[in-house]
Amino acid sequence: MDLLIQVLINGVLLGGFYAIMALGLALVWGVLNIVNLAHGAFIMLGAYLSWYLYEYGGIDPFIGLPLNAVIMFAVGYAMQRGLLNLIVRAPMFNTLLITFGIEVVLTYLAQLVFSADFRTINPPYAGNNTTLGSVVIPDVRLFAFGAAIVLTLGMWVFLLRTKLGRAIRATAQNLVAARLYGVEPRHLYAMTFGIGIGLAGAAGALYGVTSQINPYIGASLTAKSFAISIIGGLENPLGVIVGGLALGIIESLALLYVGATFGDVATFGVLVLVLIVRPTGLLGRTA
Amino acid sequence: MSAKAAFLSSLLLGAAAIAPAPAHAADILLGASVQLTGPVANTGRYYKDAYEFAVDKINEKGGVKVGNEHRKLALRIYDNQSDVSLSVRQYTQLVTQDKVNLLLGPFASNFVLADSAISEKYKIPMVQGGGASDQIFSRGFKYIFGTLPAASDYFGSTIKMLSALKPKPENVALLYADDSFDVSVAKGTRPLLKEAGLKLALDERYTTNATNFNSLLSQIRNAHIDAVLVAGHETEILNFIRQAKSLSVSPKMYSFTVGVPSADFRAALGKDAEFAFGMTAWLPSASLKDEWFGNAEEFAKAYKAKFGYDPDYHAASGVADVEAIVKAIESAGTIEPQKVRDALAKVNFQSLYGTIAFGKNGQITLPQTVIQIQDGNVVAVYGQEGFIKQPKYPMPAWNSR
Repeated sequence: MDLLIQVLINGVLLGGFYAIMALGLALVWGVLNIVNLAHGAFIMLGAYLSWYLYEYGGIDPFIGLPLNAVIMFAVGYAMQRGLLNLIVRAPMFNTLLITFGIEVVLTYLAQLVFSADFRTINPPYAGNNTTLGSVVIPDVRLFAFGAAIVLTLGMWVFLLRTKLGRAIRATAQNLVAARLYGVEPRHLYAMTFGIGIGLAGAAGALYGVTSQINPYIGASLTAKSFAISIIGGLENPLGVIVGGLALGIIESLALLYVGATFGDVATFGVLVLVLIVRPTGLLGRTA
Repeated sequence: MSAKAAFLSSLLLGAAAIAPAPAHAADILLGASVQLTGPVANTGRYYKDAYEFAVDKINEKGGVKVGNEHRKLALRIYDNQSDVSLSVRQYTQLVTQDKVNLLLGPFASNFVLADSAISEKYKIPMVQGGGASDQIFSRGFKYIFGTLPAASDYFGSTIKMLSALKPKPENVALLYADDSFDVSVAKGTRPLLKEAGLKLALDERYTTNATNFNSLLSQIRNAHIDAVLVAGHETEILNFIRQAKSLSVSPKMYSFTVGVPSADFRAALGKDAEFAFGMTAWLPSASLKDEWFGNAEEFAKAYKAKFGYDPDYHAASGVADVEAIVKAIESAGTIEPQKVRDALAKVNFQSLYGTIAFGKNGQITLPQTVIQIQDGNVVAVYGQEGFIKQPKYPMPAWNSR
């Protein structure tokens, strides 16, 4: 019983991290209709950024989180403005191709610049935990979970209540009408992509504190973010939380009860099931 | 992924056709495809450094004596981007287009397993120090030689040590990744545990590149495991140790097939690497004499001065591969592949890596020394003669470090 509770908690906390990881991908996908295959590569860059800030600037990865997000936002904004805006209305295949290209370039540039050495962001408290009875809760994961909830709710409020958020949604729903109301789509697209990449940067910082960084971590993170976005649905940031949690819990249980080689089977099995049963995602509106 | 690999490989093969200048006509050309980029680059790059280091040194000392003439060595190395199918194509190219004389190996058993089919097909011997899986040497191939000791015995010395430790661990967990090398390790470890009277309380295979070890770690705690043996890759082991800390899982000992001897692995973990056990077939000891480098200690110093990191057994094994080829050519008196192959089967010489002599199946036999990270250093704790230095056992709980 203790084991089950522990593994459930592990799953929930992991799910929180998964949610942060997928939030940016889902936003960009939902609003710009770009499936950003380079999303994981941006998480990787965010992780290196935090590593450098910590090792050379002495900036704690959690305190540096907003700074990381702002820098990555700028990178994302520039990339959308200078490159992706050229193809934003192009067929899906072109956007896939270009983001795939960005992924390859970023990954191999990262190897050139950072080398293939493993890095970890390892502040003294990184392995701390809190014990409740027989259950152990890793502090960093708990914080990441809290951050996921805050960021997701923040995103939700932002999209629903602020002028910029409404403009972003309006552009996604009806470009012509939005333009008639004075929305400048190029700037708006770049803002959206920037926010998505900023979130990826934040996810990278958290990833670096709990796992290991090398130039090649991106591809599998993209795949997982993709699955979470589909499972949760793209319409609503809360869907990403649901998708992340569902995946975290299902994966942890599968690893325990089915076998340690069945994590990915569970992830993509759930993905296929959701596509069959609820193609718009768990929180998506049914057509 | 495969689309990416195919696209990149077509680029690479295209570039390769025009890139490197041909070796000097009289040079003996050695070819290899290693992982300089991609997920396995972290270890693959050691082999390029080792091959180059050995070739430069041997050339500097006069090269290779073939019959009555002295000839230099030349190297042709391709980057296989950590892609097995690309490495097979590159070895085919090395043999058929580049006309290399002899082959050196890639890193990792799954690569050697595939690439040795090329050396066998074209009857060009490949001496490799990157693949230890028993699968490589159980197919009756005649042209593959390996300088890493058998995977099935990686935990052999560790298990002997477990029996000698006090208190003797009761429950043992064996975790292994689902690739050729690690499955071979697990297969060989089970009977050794049984012989030693240790109870295998948890026996789990996990996915290569797994990042989530929380469920396995929770099981380890739940089953009161004393000793954890992990056969996997460095990325997985980094995650394993970090998550063990965050969940306060602290068995009496844990041991890992890779990582512990590698400098950047220890640097990445910092203090958290402390107490981890591992094994190595090679330590830079002055007692290992070498014709070209003097001895292993001097080799390690010169290597670090050149590349900026400490060599581990991967690098030493790579150097031994080049030396074995040179010795075989010299005793064969020719570079004709079949004759060099027969000479390789008979080589027996002292090197910085140990005594190089291949068994009937083509694989070397070397004892594994148990090592542990103590105060940030790799310390040899248990060898053939028993304890070398007292291991820190049982390791302290995470919160009392």
